[in-house]
Amino acid sequence: MTVVGLRLALLALLLAIWEIAGRLVNPLLGVPPSAVVPALRDLLRLQSYPDLPASILLTLREIGAAYALSVAAGLACGFMLGMHRLAGRAWGPMLAALYAVPAVVWYPSLMLFFGLDAASKIAFGFLLGFFPIALAVLAGIRQVSPQLVVVARAYGAGTVTVFRRVMLPAMLFTLVGGLRTGLALCVIGVVVGEILGSKAGMGALINHAYGLLRTADYVALVLVTLVMVVGSDVLASLLERRARRWTD
Amino acid sequence: MSARPELIVVEGVTKRYLTSSGPVEALHDVSLTVEEGAFCTLIGPSGCGKSTLLGMLGGLVAPDQGRLLVEGRPVTGPDPRRVATVFQEAGLFPWRTTLQNVEFGLELQGVPAERRRKTATELLGPLGLAGFAVRYPRELSGGMKQRVAIGRALALDAKILLMDEPFGALDEQTRVLMGEWLLDIWRRTRKTVIFVTHSLHEALVLSTRVAVMTARPGRIKATLDLAMEYPRSMESSEMVTLRAKLWSEIREESLRAMR
Repeated sequence: MTVVGLRLALLALLLAIWEIAGRLVNPLLGVPPSAVVPALRDLLRLQSYPDLPASILLTLREIGAAYALSVAAGLACGFMLGMHRLAGRAWGPMLAALYAVPAVVWYPSLMLFFGLDAASKIAFGFLLGFFPIALAVLAGIRQVSPQLVVVARAYGAGTVTVFRRVMLPAMLFTLVGGLRTGLALCVIGVVVGEILGSKAGMGALINHAYGLLRTADYVALVLVTLVMVVGSDVLASLLERRARRWTD
Repeated sequence: MSARPELIVVEGVTKRYLTSSGPVEALHDVSLTVEEGAFCTLIGPSGCGKSTLLGMLGGLVAPDQGRLLVEGRPVTGPDPRRVATVFQEAGLFPWRTTLQNVEFGLELQGVPAERRRKTATELLGPLGLAGFAVRYPRELSGGMKQRVAIGRALALDAKILLMDEPFGALDEQTRVLMGEWLLDIWRRTRKTVIFVTHSLHEALVLSTRVAVMTARPGRIKATLDLAMEYPRSMESSEMVTLRAKLWSEIREESLRAMR
């Protein structure tokens, strides 16, 4: 309870600072929370942006597609490099090096390649989400104690059993952490992609409101996006808990 | 011919490892027989291939030459129904409780949950872990962890128990007590134990037979049969003589290993 109280207190403090600061600046640029409330109401009543539901749906679908690709490719690539010693030694460091490149430099070429529609957003989300997942698998495999593998073999475990009973539980925390980071980065990739150039989706709406200096609408749209992002992370944490129960 | 059948036969076993500085011969022409119900200790300097020999009996390491027979059948791989292993590090699964760790081998053998739980629970008493069924390894002391590992091996109810310096990581006092405890378990279960150690004390107090191994490449240098009654006192004149004899055998090899 104290934790929740402290959280609410910080939130209230930030809102108060925002309110005071927002009233001090040019109303075209600064929006206090009190002005956001009516804008949010209009937004949710579909008065300011009637295509809000379609935009949310599109963005969520892009995130879903980007994440599905990231998980599939990240797990496949991570396990391949992790299980195969030579491949891991040869290509693992390259993977880590590529991850260090600020991914946004690839975005212009992704737009040229995939166009302004969903495909380029999915590609960008994938590009961001793939690396943490693949690298988490690699790190997780390295965490598996060789001694536990020997114990399992001595007790009659074959390759599949070693994988299921020893490797997966031993690497679970790292793996799930990577899957969670991957999801967060997929969301960022898709939304940033939309903001950098798109015709539809939450990013396009944000761009529109911001371009027309409809600052209150802009803040309201950002809040809706924020709820989507936090929602996806809550979902991921629920999955994390399920996974932990599964290994027990 | 002995009255008891020879449960384990090791014949002319040789093993080489490839290292970055060339091939190293770990074992050279090792032969050994162990009767059913024996407590056979392998003792020798570090790196003499004791663990390699144990790994071979457990089916985890294949010999380059020679053969190993358990109950007359050659060892081709891990066979937890006949041979259970306890390692130097307890090697418990940190995400499993005491009970779940003890059940591990039975689980792999497909024993129904209820039955393996019963077997494991019954073991906890003699293991001195009755109150620790649902604790995780990180909550246990070093001696307790090793007892869980021994419990995991005993749960298999295999005839043969391989123990690779099981008390090597424990402090002296715990070690002595664990030895007494193991002796009690062994006498009650009548298992055949192959026990690797560096400790003269453990070898003399526990074993029915001690095999002294040479420095690398490991060979069996001498075997001693110990017929004294348990529990044994280190102060008896017989033990003092044996200790001196054993030490002179080992001392020579340890000196060679140090050079």
